[in-house]
Amino acid sequence: MEVNPAISVVIPVFNEQENVRLLYQKIREVCESLRQSYEIIFVDDGSHDRTFDILEEIHSQDAHLKAIRFRKNYGQTAAMAAGFEYARGEVVVSMDGDLQNDPADIPLLLKKMNEGFDIVCGWRKNRQDKFWSRRVPSIAANWLIGKVTGVQIRDNGCSLKAYRASVIKNVTLYGEMHRFIPAMSTLVGARIAEIPVSHHPRRFGKSKYGIGRAWRVALDIATVKTLTGFASRPGLWFGILGMPAFALGLLTIFGAVTALFANLPVSWSVLFTVGSLGMFLGVHLLSIGLVAELGMETGDYLPNRDVRPTVTVLETPGRVIHRQSEVDSGQHAL
Amino acid sequence: MHCENSVALSVIIPISDRYDDLRKLYLQYVEVLATSNYSYELIFVLDGVNVAALENLKGLKSEFPQLEVITTNRKVGEATALAIGFERAQGSTVLTLAPYLQVEPTEICRVLQEFSEGDYDLVISWREPRIDSVFYRLQSWIFHRLTQMLTKLPYHDIGCRLRVLRREVTDEVRLYGDLHRFLPFMAYQRGFKIGEVPVRQSETDKKRRVSQPGVCLKRLLDLLTLFFLFKFTKRPLRFFGLIGSALFCAGGLIAAVTVLLQLLGHETLVGRPFLVMGVLLMVVGVQLFSIGLLGEIIVFTHARKSKDYTVSRILE
Repeated sequence: MEVNPAISVVIPVFNEQENVRLLYQKIREVCESLRQSYEIIFVDDGSHDRTFDILEEIHSQDAHLKAIRFRKNYGQTAAMAAGFEYARGEVVVSMDGDLQNDPADIPLLLKKMNEGFDIVCGWRKNRQDKFWSRRVPSIAANWLIGKVTGVQIRDNGCSLKAYRASVIKNVTLYGEMHRFIPAMSTLVGARIAEIPVSHHPRRFGKSKYGIGRAWRVALDIATVKTLTGFASRPGLWFGILGMPAFALGLLTIFGAVTALFANLPVSWSVLFTVGSLGMFLGVHLLSIGLVAELGMETGDYLPNRDVRPTVTVLETPGRVIHRQSEVDSGQHAL
Repeated sequence: MHCENSVALSVIIPISDRYDDLRKLYLQYVEVLATSNYSYELIFVLDGVNVAALENLKGLKSEFPQLEVITTNRKVGEATALAIGFERAQGSTVLTLAPYLQVEPTEICRVLQEFSEGDYDLVISWREPRIDSVFYRLQSWIFHRLTQMLTKLPYHDIGCRLRVLRREVTDEVRLYGDLHRFLPFMAYQRGFKIGEVPVRQSETDKKRRVSQPGVCLKRLLDLLTLFFLFKFTKRPLRFFGLIGSALFCAGGLIAAVTVLLQLLGHETLVGRPFLVMGVLLMVVGVQLFSIGLLGEIIVFTHARKSKDYTVSRILE
């Protein structure tokens, strides 16, 4: 019988034939020094080069290395989701496959986690990327994500993170959600910390990112806000938006009626039309909210079941709170 | 020798709208299939209640008992009929054919050969050169150009029913309604390897007229569905949100300019309708955006059932 390892390191790779072997050696060194059982999971996201052949070679020599190969390129989020699903360790560490993250930081993450956190994020304090095309958009995006979602992380985009497996396996990842893991994991009540990690310039291969994703990130932020903001009640969220629209529309119509009867020098018909549209918008948003509730209920994500809060009962010494006894005493009083 | 349960090739012929003399067709197909080295089974799937075709098939079945005939009790569409056939198929390779001669029958063997030699998961065929009327060819060309533009995949003839697939493809790709044309796109999304073979078109397949407007409209809607499924299944807000926010911004700008002009005393004749239009655009923008968010909620709540990725190998 195989015993589950303590640590799983998950690395999504895409066309990284120059980097995988070196990366594997570095991670192995670090993991051996930890004196804990480990597994290293490479997720090959449909590479066209020799990446998977090299992984196969290493695998035949070292059983610590596992690899998952995708049929085609599905993106980093899918690769991470596959790694997380497959990982058997109690703690899962994720990192980039391009050697820009340093495996030597893994012990720091684990140490921080032992202080009582569920997710420890790396923060590339001295980021080795182009300033205008990579770092400025990143700073802006992180600021916006922090403001909107309320999860203030300085570097959401850093792949080097450590997670408690029980937490990360409950975080639903789809689309390009890997940038929003900290925010999304507030849904399962994760305690999040952040520590500075080192960052190296790219040695081999090309960067797979460009700046043309700003609008995507903006729309993703809206999604994350909706998904985390409503918690379990999307109807409420849309209602909060819909009610003011409805009220404003109603108010405008009152204004139009007043203008009509008081002969004010404004066009009552325009006000009337605008007011009707406002009311219409309100009704639309409210009904979208209702359909969203329906979607929630029929989906396989049940907030009450999946995101069960940790309940701690504090018992006061000398006094036992017992429901049955309360009922009994009530009867005695009668 | 020829054992019923261990066929290598399952041939599926869905009969939906157009079909020719089935007996003649059957004999032609069987003659060609005999020259291939496959042991095969042949399944007719009759879509919906069609008394004449059913009688034909019954006659055929009594004459050739090894033939399999499935019927559905209501019209389900060609793709669903195919899916029903896939479920019954026992072979590890599946060949789909049209219920009329689309291509020269001898081409079937060539496509089968290409499939086994090329290590493909799915091979589709491409009627080249086309012998249809100029109008029909133009119509088909426009449709395929649009499809190629939207999906960035180079298939030339997705309407050709002669296809060879590996069993894994039929197991994983869920076909429904009239989406049989989109089989290659859906297979591509699941990461299968797809080949395209040019074949000679049959004289009986020749089309003289362009399709009717209703058919064209249906195709265009199918295309929209494909575009949406193909590009934005996992990110509905990318689609609705972008259009929605663009409309909202345009509407806001129009409304703001109109109000500003009004306040400055430039009351123009176009002012009022423009304000209404601006507000209307803003409302439509918010609507589209919220539909996108609703889509995101639905995807999120169903994300665990539907995985984003397909795995070809695991080393453990």
